[in-house]
Amino acid sequence: MRHNGVTLVAVNLVAVLVAAAGCGSGDNGGGPEGPDFSATPAGTLRAWGFNSTDDVGRARLAHAQGLLGGVTIEIDQTGFDAQKFTTRIASGNLPDVVQMDRQYVATYAAQRLILPMDRCYSAKNVDPKARFYPAVIGDVTYENQVWAVPQFFQPPTILINKKLTGAAGVADAEFDTSNPTALLGAIAKLYKESGGVPATLGFHPVATGQTNLWMLGLGGRLIDEKGAPTLDDPANVYPLETLKRILDAQGGFAKVKSFGDSFDVFGQSNQFVTDKVAAEVNFQWYVNVLAPYKDRLELSAVPFKGKDGKPVAIAAGATAFVIPAGAKNPSAACAWALALTSQDNWMAAAEARAATVQQRNSIFTGLFTGSPDADRAIREKYVKPSGNAGFDQVIATYYDVVGAGRSFGASPAGQQIQQELINAITATSLGSKSAQQALADAQAAAKRAYDTVVRG
Amino acid sequence: MKRREAGGLAGAAEGHTASRQAAAGGRPRGTARGHEALAGYLFISPWIVGFLVFVAGTMVYSLVISFSHYNLATGDLRPAGTANYEQLLADPRVATSLGNTLFYAVLAVPVEICFALMLALLLHANRRGTGFFRTVYYLPRMTPLVATASMFLLLLNGNTGAINQALRLVGIEGPQWLVDPTWVKPSIVLMTLWAVSGTMVIFLAALQTVPRELYEVAELDGAGPVRKFFSITLPMISGAMFFNVIVLTIAAFQVFDQAYLLFWRDQSNTAPEASLFYAVYLFQQAFRQFDFGFAAAMAWLLFVILLVLTTIQAKIATRHVYYEGAR
Repeated sequence: MRHNGVTLVAVNLVAVLVAAAGCGSGDNGGGPEGPDFSATPAGTLRAWGFNSTDDVGRARLAHAQGLLGGVTIEIDQTGFDAQKFTTRIASGNLPDVVQMDRQYVATYAAQRLILPMDRCYSAKNVDPKARFYPAVIGDVTYENQVWAVPQFFQPPTILINKKLTGAAGVADAEFDTSNPTALLGAIAKLYKESGGVPATLGFHPVATGQTNLWMLGLGGRLIDEKGAPTLDDPANVYPLETLKRILDAQGGFAKVKSFGDSFDVFGQSNQFVTDKVAAEVNFQWYVNVLAPYKDRLELSAVPFKGKDGKPVAIAAGATAFVIPAGAKNPSAACAWALALTSQDNWMAAAEARAATVQQRNSIFTGLFTGSPDADRAIREKYVKPSGNAGFDQVIATYYDVVGAGRSFGASPAGQQIQQELINAITATSLGSKSAQQALADAQAAAKRAYDTVVRG
Repeated sequence: MKRREAGGLAGAAEGHTASRQAAAGGRPRGTARGHEALAGYLFISPWIVGFLVFVAGTMVYSLVISFSHYNLATGDLRPAGTANYEQLLADPRVATSLGNTLFYAVLAVPVEICFALMLALLLHANRRGTGFFRTVYYLPRMTPLVATASMFLLLLNGNTGAINQALRLVGIEGPQWLVDPTWVKPSIVLMTLWAVSGTMVIFLAALQTVPRELYEVAELDGAGPVRKFFSITLPMISGAMFFNVIVLTIAAFQVFDQAYLLFWRDQSNTAPEASLFYAVYLFQQAFRQFDFGFAAAMAWLLFVILLVLTTIQAKIATRHVYYEGAR
């Protein structure tokens, strides 16, 4: 299989180019003014990346289908794949709408491989700034245009294992990321080793999975208004050095990372049930994973605080719907994407989730849709006291911080910037480079990537 | 018997006639050869068409692309002169990825050769159960690489992985294989060894062709196992050795799947510089940054490097590889 690695890449590369040479892809589906998004949706809509296998997905799909009665919807439910997307663009075999990670949006926008959506929003009388949180719409805004219909905003908080912190006499307030001294004190009381490797982490910072939260939350600046990287900004040194101190207090970056990698994250021996972490930064969806073990857990949560002491939330892995340039049915794509993110659609999803929760005797932990109105309505109607005070406090904390969301920003080199940032965190945390040097190296590499993409 | 004789006579008569016609300068023999050649070309034409369209044609086109800037959105192919090749020198990541790949190749090829040869010798020496063990050793080759990578993510965990736990039993604190940049490449070599059975099978086939008489004579002369290995086995299987070295070297320079699955499957790669192999960087340039011209130039640089390496290996082989009937 390995023998074919470069061969496959080369054949794909050439296939893309041969197909592109034959087909071209400059057509944006509607002449110089772009497609007519106001046309009544009709015909067949080919969607890619939307997964409707769970209760929420099924309910949303059914609701949107109801609104687009005359449209036949065909969905390729496989996950988005950059290479496949590029090949499909080049060959002209395009879906009408694609669900992808929000981090990709500016990259494809810079290449003009997807359509700007401002006219889609205006054709359907939707104000994106009113429908979505500023942080959410910020993720898909590039060069003053909105390029996607976003969905979901999963805020992170610090989940606390009260069984461990109570035994060690550590108060929730000590998990204060704006006060590293207090935080390191809590870690010292909770961290345990066995055979030279961690047995219990006092505080799992999830350094490489929550990179943006740590950097932006602690005052860093990753990209400028144009989307160019600013990794060598002096403000980025403090977050890196703070992370290193947290990791060094618990065996160092390598041991903490390997320990985290060994967790049974989704299973019944997860890190909270087995007391492998006293506290951990995690997203809202993880409460759903923990809910089945509610009788075995004592949980609480505190917000992740920025350098100024205020709560901060940065989403990661959130998605959005985009319409590829050259899509054959852009009006149906626009209508479908907006239907899937309407308040009624989310309420239908919440109703389905509530039914599932009741059936399983579990806890409704909320749906974090990316839309403030939908979040508020769902919370009011479906989020009720569960009988488990700890879980209720955790859920309330996520709702408290969702409004404090901030955008990573949109950059055509978003993935590369992210990768270089992780490179800098690794180099600093392992002690192979100073924070300044690691950031300078990361900036040089990210800037090269940015220049390449922008040059086109 | 009579039919065979009859056939033989008929054949002889035919040959005789053909000889006479050829001696007389007649066309039939040439025509027959022409027909034979045409039939041959027809038989191999599927391969030729495939080669021209999918290999030669695409290679020529990729060469054109390497001297162009290509815009995926518009399909425009603008001449770029040697800009993409100049960028190969200007971009330090090219040197980094090439260095990583070279390091991996230098580490992986000898280790794979030694390990595969050792397994082949064991299988060859133990006649009982050879078929069973040959199957067992070949199973990893049949395992999907994604499954293998998942298994190695567990095995190579620096804290809880089975490899480090085994090392701890003998008092050695194992490295952080998948996190420490120093150990990233050795971890991929370990994963490569898991599927070394393809190489092993070639060695095993070669070992079975070594005449036993040679060993018997050597034993009569008092040669021990080491002497027999270096003076008989190794020279006699040098052809297979040469083939394996060439194939493994090319494969090592093209390493992609293992690195991608262990380190680049998501955005949480903690050793992006140490695990940046040439093929991975090429992929990123083409499909993440849409710099197809530069990616094509990278592919051509790799092609030239492999061509030079293979030529050098072939030159060395003419002096050291033993082929029956020729040297």
